[in-house]
Amino acid sequence: MIGLQHYLTVSAILFVMGVLGIFINRKNVIIILMSIELILLGVNLNLVAFSAYLHDLVGQIFAMFVLTVAAGEAAIGLAILVIYFRGRGTIAVDDANRMKG
Amino acid sequence: MGYTASFALSLPEIILSFGAIALMLAAAWAGDKASKAISVIAVALLAGAAASLLGPSGSGGVGYDGLYVADGFSAFSKLLIYVSAAIAIIIAPGFFDREGEMRAEFPVLILLSAVGMGMMVSAIDLLSLYVGLELQSLAAYVLASFLRRDGRSAEAGLKYFVLGALASGILLYGISLLYGFSGGTSFHAVAVAMHAGVGTGLLFGLVFVLAGLAFKIAAVPFHMWTPDVYEGSPTPVTAFFASAPKVAAMGLLVRVAIEAMGPAGDEWRQIMIFCALASTILGAVAAIGQTNIKRLMAYSSINNVGFALFGLVPGTAYGASGVLTYMTVYIAMTLGSLLCILQMRDAEGNPVETIASLSGLSRTRPGLAAAFAVFMFSLAGIPPLFGFWPKFMVFDALVDVGMWPLAMIGIATSVIGAFYYLKIVKTIYFDEPSDVRFVPLRSTTEGVLILIAALFVSPLGYFTVPLLGKATLDAATALF
Amino acid sequence: MIQTIAFYLFAIMVVLSAGLVITARNPVHSVLWLILAFFNAAGLMLLVGAEFIAMLLVIVYVGAVAVLFLFVVMMLDIDFSELRGGFVRYLPFGVAVALVLLCEIVIAGGAWEAGPVELAGRTALAPDPAAIPNIQALGTLLYTRYLFVFEGAGLVLLVAMIGAIVLTHRARGGVRQQNVRRQNIRRPQDATRNTNPPVGQGVEL
Repeated sequence: MIGLQHYLTVSAILFVMGVLGIFINRKNVIIILMSIELILLGVNLNLVAFSAYLHDLVGQIFAMFVLTVAAGEAAIGLAILVIYFRGRGTIAVDDANRMKG
Repeated sequence: MGYTASFALSLPEIILSFGAIALMLAAAWAGDKASKAISVIAVALLAGAAASLLGPSGSGGVGYDGLYVADGFSAFSKLLIYVSAAIAIIIAPGFFDREGEMRAEFPVLILLSAVGMGMMVSAIDLLSLYVGLELQSLAAYVLASFLRRDGRSAEAGLKYFVLGALASGILLYGISLLYGFSGGTSFHAVAVAMHAGVGTGLLFGLVFVLAGLAFKIAAVPFHMWTPDVYEGSPTPVTAFFASAPKVAAMGLLVRVAIEAMGPAGDEWRQIMIFCALASTILGAVAAIGQTNIKRLMAYSSINNVGFALFGLVPGTAYGASGVLTYMTVYIAMTLGSLLCILQMRDAEGNPVETIASLSGLSRTRPGLAAAFAVFMFSLAGIPPLFGFWPKFMVFDALVDVGMWPLAMIGIATSVIGAFYYLKIVKTIYFDEPSDVRFVPLRSTTEGVLILIAALFVSPLGYFTVPLLGKATLDAATALF
Repeated sequence: MIQTIAFYLFAIMVVLSAGLVITARNPVHSVLWLILAFFNAAGLMLLVGAEFIAMLLVIVYVGAVAVLFLFVVMMLDIDFSELRGGFVRYLPFGVAVALVLLCEIVIAGGAWEAGPVELAGRTALAPDPAAIPNIQALGTLLYTRYLFVFEGAGLVLLVAMIGAIVLTHRARGGVRQQNVRRQNIRRPQDATRNTNPPVGQGVEL
């Protein structure tokens, strides 16, 4: 069996890629939403790997709930994005300076 | 423990979720015309859920195989949550009707959010913590962008969503590390593992989890969403965000810090001290230049959360009861202020949010001006008012464990904070009246709510100290 | 041996496609890379025996979430070229932050051997996969011990549904809807008329 550390490294890379994606695509909300999905993928990989190496099923159950919630989160996020686009005609958050901050 | 006993423990959540589903059906059939009736029933459901806390769901212990606990701490937090949620529902129709956007789903979403918050404060397992937190957050994202035609509302929702989802991701990564390195997801398993020694893996889990939770309470390194979201959201939603979810996240943080990470107290204490100091200082300093009253309330909430965190630093039951007292008084002050802000409407009924429009309010609307002054003095923690008491309690708890240098620094920062509250009082009482004339109070309910909140934070509030002190101490002792 | 090769194949592919998700110029390409990343992550999960989660990842993510993303990308008519501006400006800062985070997390992972692990904390030991399949073991746990959280997840999905509808549903004016009752009570006599026009004259309508 492949060592657990290999798995942890892959999921750490995925998590960091997700965070990086949010930083470098600050204008494009759709890519930001995809970066969040990458973060959650990293978490899921972590949970499943721990679950397998501990011989304990809780990690896999947890990963299922993460999947469920992530699907709901994506739906809400895209809905908010759609009304934002309807009102502004753009999805750039950086332009979102109607309020300062 | 069988399912029947577990169901009895989670009776408040069951009442609220079944009620919310039934009201959703009613909303689907009757449409937005029924939103008044649905709001009334929703408030009644919250009252019912609060009443059920008198039974086993107030003190029954652990249920659902260690996923859920009903103890004094969860009961006290739930009471605060239900009261704040009910107030948010009561003040909503008056606001949304003028915008023509009152929809029957609003009370339903608040109810479902309250279910999530109940799960949060009752969670003793990382899994129920996560699902409760997400239930609350998802409803909150929708509520923030509820005024669809207002660009600011959609923008608030979008910012809240993006940063909230990032915070959930960070929290989850921490949870996955805690699970992996402690072998279980229950708080108890994490505490046992931390007792055996805090290795690098557990330490990383701890830091990530605390970072995610700090976002939810808007403590300083993770506060940047607060001003935009508070300003952009519809005012009743701002009132909701400033009260109920804050109590829930604070309750959750206290429980996680003490029950799960108790053995790693030295590790998290430094993080808490940093967050508390940074929040109080930044909240006070950044508030000074604000011109929008809702943004100011956002910085005030950051500042106040910082003070409440001081109560958690000692890690004692007295300190935790200080946190609960602080949250109780804080929601009275902040809901009172936001109710006053809700009265700021010009002759056409459009909301006004600039601080400048408040000038000379004492001559045009003396009653409202007096209420504003009481809330501002109380938020500043000036002694005769009740807002002083919880600040005193948290610093007393610090001194009790010999951390008096920190208490001194905290008191010094509260003096900086007092400055901008006093500036508003000066604007109201000593400046020339502005051109904006606010319309007179229209809703007696809102007037009565303001009066109750003002009486509670006035010096009369000290009469509740014996009762409040006992209730919070009992609640906090349940954690140890 | 074959396991090791498969692991490295999946791992390299998932990391590569994740990198392309966040750097692709066209968001449609990003979604497609995201799908590839999910497929390979599912492969990684299969390697450690989490069959059900792996299949769920493919079905839920590729089948629903990624398609939802594609749908929104195509539905909103967005000028993506103007959204690229901030990319270069934030790149060095982002890379620096990410590298620091990555190093720290890898060190934390490396501490697995060093750090103490409480195997006693486990509460749901995995049964022997030969006797009870993965999906059955998960189902048994999910519908008994985790019933409370399961119902909570149901409410999360309900909130997502209510939220998405409340936010995006618009009552459109000028849409003609089918009224079945009116269609049913309409008789030929009400709608048609027999006329007998003389030669050379039209029909008066």
